[in-house]
Amino acid sequence: MRIGQIWNKLANPKNVPRLFAFCLGIILIVGFVVPMALNPDQLYPRPAPQVQIDEGLDIAPYDRGGVVMKEPGNIKPQYPENAAQLGMITGYMSPLAEWISSVSPYFGTSIYSSPGGLVDEILYYTRGFDTILESSILMMAFIVASWLTVNYTMKRRDIAKDIKKAADDSARVAHEVKVNDEKARAKQLRRDN
Amino acid sequence: MDFVTLGGDLLGTIPLGDIVLYLTPLNLFLFAVMLVFTLLIAISKTETQVEATFNKLSNTNVKVGKSEFKQRRFLAVICGIATAGAMITGDLFNFTLFMALIGILNIGIVSAVKQTSVLNSAYQYGLIAMMCSLPLFGGASIILASTGTLSLAVLSQMSASPMVVFGAVLMLLGILGESGVAPFFASKAEMFRTPGSPFIVIIHLSSLFIIVRAVEILLLVLW
Repeated sequence: MRIGQIWNKLANPKNVPRLFAFCLGIILIVGFVVPMALNPDQLYPRPAPQVQIDEGLDIAPYDRGGVVMKEPGNIKPQYPENAAQLGMITGYMSPLAEWISSVSPYFGTSIYSSPGGLVDEILYYTRGFDTILESSILMMAFIVASWLTVNYTMKRRDIAKDIKKAADDSARVAHEVKVNDEKARAKQLRRDN
Repeated sequence: MDFVTLGGDLLGTIPLGDIVLYLTPLNLFLFAVMLVFTLLIAISKTETQVEATFNKLSNTNVKVGKSEFKQRRFLAVICGIATAGAMITGDLFNFTLFMALIGILNIGIVSAVKQTSVLNSAYQYGLIAMMCSLPLFGGASIILASTGTLSLAVLSQMSASPMVVFGAVLMLLGILGESGVAPFFASKAEMFRTPGSPFIVIIHLSSLFIIVRAVEILLLVLW
């Protein structure tokens, strides 16, 4: 195929997402052979998987230490000078959560035990700007969607015609299926006789 | 590679917790130029296209309605501010978020038009933008997993491992798709064929600026 023909195919917007998905697939497959070298010195540290379970802590595997407003928990910022109060609410649990963790050893693994204090500290303290941006992405998506809902940009009167065409099409397909069915049955009968 | 080699002397930082925006002459220039363009777009009015009528001697004016104009102007100004923010950000994940915001706004700016061909190409671009979130955020998270940090100031001092290179390639693919460069241009180029010139131009302008900044960020991460 000549290069001009390839360019012509690429000029059709319909083909572009397919090409992009193909490139993405190729690169992701290449990713399987890339050596994975994880850095153990992570920004938001976590204990090794089974350590806290073996120690028998109340809220294993999510115990990150710290006493609320007194002693900072196990959390590490990128720039400590910008987050002096970090870790002070890592250990916070609601009264209900404290009661459940006192009666059940499985509180940390259950669905209702989100590590609230820690998530708050990352979302609203060290990475607060990211949270603002994330919610503004959502807000823009809602603005576009609601504007389109209020001011329809497509012609609504074409819909009745489309529905009629779809109904006709499905009736035609059903008819064709029926005819083919009868034909096959007749053929089978002939073969049996 | 260091900040100083690429963008000139470090003039100062804006600390926001772990996200530290940094100012070098290059970034500051891009930021200021983007804000000036945004201001020009905010105070301008849309052009009116004059098209020759088929089979007749008269002309037709293609105008933009008032509510459509307001909606587009709002989205264009937000798009300009988001692009300006991406120019001075000093955090990898922050940059990808700005990128995703620009992608959504680009679709929004053309979503109000009435030409079906333009809407169709905007839809195809939307499919690409949706797919792009995987390589963009995936690339940033792979770089985070292999280096343990997202700050560009720290990343620029580290040497690149094969996993970082893979993450950077993923991010590059996401940026190429989202800003509509070389093989993926058709869906974005078709979106321009509609009246409402200064607001449509911000789509083009934001991709240009983002590409310049993405090259700088990839150089910082890889060298």
